[in-house]
Amino acid sequence: MSESKEQKIEDLYDVVVIGAGNGGLIAAAELARRSTKILLLEQHNLPGGFASSFVRGRFEFETSLHELYDWGASSNKGGTRRLLERYELDSEFVAVPEAYRLILTDPDECMDVVMPFGIDAYLDTIEKEAPGSRESVRKFFDLAEDINRATNYIGQTKGHPDQNVLLKEHSNFLKTTAYSVEDVQNALNIPEKARSILNAYWVYLLVPMSRVNFTIFVSMVHGYILKGAYIPKFRSHDYTTALDTRIRELGGKIEYNTTVEKILVENGKVVGVETSKGDKIKTNHVVCNASPTLTYNKLIHPKSEVPEIAYKEINARRHGVSTFVVYLGLDATADELGLTDYSYFINNNMNTDELYESLNNLETPKVQATICLNRAIPDCSPPGTCIVSITSAFLPGVWDAVKPEDYFTLKNKIAEDLINTLETATGAPIKEHIEEIEVATPQTISRFTRAYNGVVYGYEPESWDSFVPRLMTMNDEKHIEGLEFCGGYGKRCHGYSSALKDGETAALLTLQDLIQKGELK
Amino acid sequence: MSEEEKKFDIIVKSNTRDLFAFTKLVPSRKKRFEKASSEPITTDPMNELAIRLHPLRQYLVISEIINETKSTKTYKLTPDPNSNTNQLAYFRAGQYLSLKVEVNGVTITRPYSIASSPSDALKGFYEITIRKEEPGFLTQFIWNKWKVGTKIESSGPEGFFFYEPLRDLKQIVGLAGGSGITPFRSIAKEIAEDKLDAKLTILYGSSEEDDIIYHNEFKVLEKKYPDKIKVVHVLSCEKVTLEGCELGFLTSDIIEKYCDVNNSSFFICGPQIMYNFVEKELEKFNLLHKRIRREAFGEIKEILSDPEFPQEVAEKIFKIKAQIGNLTKEIPAKATESVLVALERANLNPPSKCRSGECGFCRSLLISGDVYISPVSDWRKAGDKKFNYFHPCASYPITDLEIKVPRHL
Ligand SMILES: Cc1cc2nc3c(=O)[nH]c(=O)nc-3n(C[C@H](O)[C@H](O)[C@H](O)COP(=O)(O)OP(=O)(O)OC[C@H]3O[C@@H](n4cnc5c(N)ncnc54)[C@H](O)[C@@H]3O)c2cc1C
Repeated sequence: MSESKEQKIEDLYDVVVIGAGNGGLIAAAELARRSTKILLLEQHNLPGGFASSFVRGRFEFETSLHELYDWGASSNKGGTRRLLERYELDSEFVAVPEAYRLILTDPDECMDVVMPFGIDAYLDTIEKEAPGSRESVRKFFDLAEDINRATNYIGQTKGHPDQNVLLKEHSNFLKTTAYSVEDVQNALNIPEKARSILNAYWVYLLVPMSRVNFTIFVSMVHGYILKGAYIPKFRSHDYTTALDTRIRELGGKIEYNTTVEKILVENGKVVGVETSKGDKIKTNHVVCNASPTLTYNKLIHPKSEVPEIAYKEINARRHGVSTFVVYLGLDATADELGLTDYSYFINNNMNTDELYESLNNLETPKVQATICLNRAIPDCSPPGTCIVSITSAFLPGVWDAVKPEDYFTLKNKIAEDLINTLETATGAPIKEHIEEIEVATPQTISRFTRAYNGVVYGYEPESWDSFVPRLMTMNDEKHIEGLEFCGGYGKRCHGYSSALKDGETAALLTLQDLIQKGELK
Repeated sequence: MSEEEKKFDIIVKSNTRDLFAFTKLVPSRKKRFEKASSEPITTDPMNELAIRLHPLRQYLVISEIINETKSTKTYKLTPDPNSNTNQLAYFRAGQYLSLKVEVNGVTITRPYSIASSPSDALKGFYEITIRKEEPGFLTQFIWNKWKVGTKIESSGPEGFFFYEPLRDLKQIVGLAGGSGITPFRSIAKEIAEDKLDAKLTILYGSSEEDDIIYHNEFKVLEKKYPDKIKVVHVLSCEKVTLEGCELGFLTSDIIEKYCDVNNSSFFICGPQIMYNFVEKELEKFNLLHKRIRREAFGEIKEILSDPEFPQEVAEKIFKIKAQIGNLTKEIPAKATESVLVALERANLNPPSKCRSGECGFCRSLLISGDVYISPVSDWRKAGDKKFNYFHPCASYPITDLEIKVPRHL
């Protein structure tokens, strides 16, 4: 076609940002705000990556977000909120009403509790449910505060803390950060039942308590309980489009439907990128929102520029889960259905090793995290209806052998099982009210975001690969000059907040490099 | 918090072991890396599955042309291995393909329902049935040019017009008009193959007897599966020789006569005027939303008949300043044609699939100016409305515009 040649992009950019997910959007916005000439390239036709929405019939569904971490009320703003507010987005966020409802379905584990936000209210409730647990759980939260102080201190020193100060003032942080949740909870003597309640948030990490790093887990639980959880009023597509608008207003350029196929490297330095549209763009700086797994195995060109250690790092790490989501537009209200809560964690039990194992085959997982969106946003769907989404997960590899001709039947069977579990656990008659249904599988994740093998939860945050060692080693684990990563595989592990903040860090590191090399006008 | 307030000192294993564990954190990480394999990862199975189910493009070749009626032909399409399409994407009966056709040097797309069954795709073919329209920009061209051996570029299977067992009732009522029968042929075949556990009654509106598509084929299916498949012809002409058919249009009386209205899921597919008519008729039954599924009907044909369209601009031709990639071009655009059509006429090769406002594939940014969007084809997300993103296939220029369009995938 004659025109497509003229449509090619062949200019020079200070920075090319690959991918408009949470990480890439913030990186692009921050760089644009600081007057760098940037080009943001996204392979899909929408911004957001996982942070998006889609319309079916009368409903606009949230694709992924259950709860935004570290947002906080206007009187007690969290880091994520302060970061996003910097861009003065025309986008509203609303508070989620309660922390969660945990329902365990195994007959000998039977539990059904609603947990509130607020440390004191939470402690009161857990004491009521598991008498004698209050003090040990309080210590758990105290440790979280110690860890917060420690990470703030490390942040203030720009990653170069004084070892003596750490030892003297932040010993609780030092002494726990190499351990699993189970190790520390054993040391704290938290009673079994209280642990079941306290560990319900494990679904947001999906690594068993025997392996998951204590620091990341305790910070997450404490952050949610202390500051509450928030969601965008008009789905994630609203704030990601607000970011798109702001990036352009700040002079950044965005191209959708444009896949970066090659990051060109010469003598260990980034020199440009090439895209699926035949664009050849010169740049010495790439901020990459695609995972290191994809970048080193697929994007770096020529392959001889990939150092052996980069492959080794990827192969040593464990890829996290992919998700399975059933999106339901129901023609009854949440009240009519008896869905009283926003967030339901419904598992067979709280043996997280067993639950994790249930994600490792094509049987229906024993874990689900279900949202009734109208409980946070009453008018998110037309009068007389409500939106429910059921999220579960699979370990990478489980779906590998599924054939296209079996795919629809398989996903429907798993969806039906998950709906049945929800019906039994809550008593809500879901099936008879389905007006719209959409089911997303690991294949769907791969299709829309190109995430490697459909992986959503980045690399598993075991202690040796949790955010503390990742931040401590971020300078030595950089292998190509001019290449920074950001997003859910990044320095803060996965999740919206982590990916957003990681985008800011990647932007600042790139900026520092630009300034040091005198490349910025 | 100050040091005095600090409540306790944690000991996980023992004080020294805990601190030692911390100092070992980074070295043990390095050791893990050193020990790991340095093999690159060369496969991505979910990406491979995604490409098989949702290929960006399928290169097809016409292997057979069947004359159905005086104005319709069925094209059998097989993969074109010379263009690296070796197998066809599986699909759900009722979905469509967006075909890309170059007509007189201008590239456009059109959606066509797949009329063959999903298992036929595994055997290596799709069938689509096309009615020649008057005047018909594209269909006239197809009639003249498409021969056995002609190569055609297609999207993967698209759309949401399919039976969903978790939502729909086992009794499907297809309300079809004209070439809107095509997706029902796919559904009927899947039922006949015992791959879809449902029953299908089709009320099929045609204007003349010799306009009925698949007449004999459905006769055979009805005979073979009398409890599962039934077709009732509804003819709007005066003289009829066919037995057992109804005269007139798809009225509530006819629907009631052949269907258990309250225990059926209705699927509508046909020309726009039929939707308006049928939906009025269905209103009488007060059905729940979920019991009526509609196929997207393509571009609005007569935007002037839309009561909310600003009639005063009807005759106008506006200017659109379109950015696409690095190119900025000023192009003319009639008020009565969608922005997408203007972009296609200018040969800018914009993305598009459903041409009905629904799929969002053509989503573009409205930098300045104003468009008219009919409420029936406004499927934009809340955020897109707020930040001026729009779907060119369902938007009509009512002032000069400046827009940014993504390049086609
Ligand atoms: C169902 C589900 C529920 C979730 N729930 C929560 C929750 O409640 N709370 C929470 O905090 N987190 C949640 N998450 C996790 C969260 O969505 C992710 O961790 C986070 O969004 C990751 O952001 P990212 O920056 O890594 O970008 P991604 O979303 O991974 O985006 C990467 C972007 O890069 C693009 N891209 C990739 N390769 C290329 C290329 N070569 N060229 C051009 N573009 C490319 C992709 O298209 C994509 O847009 C959930 C995720 C899912 C799927």
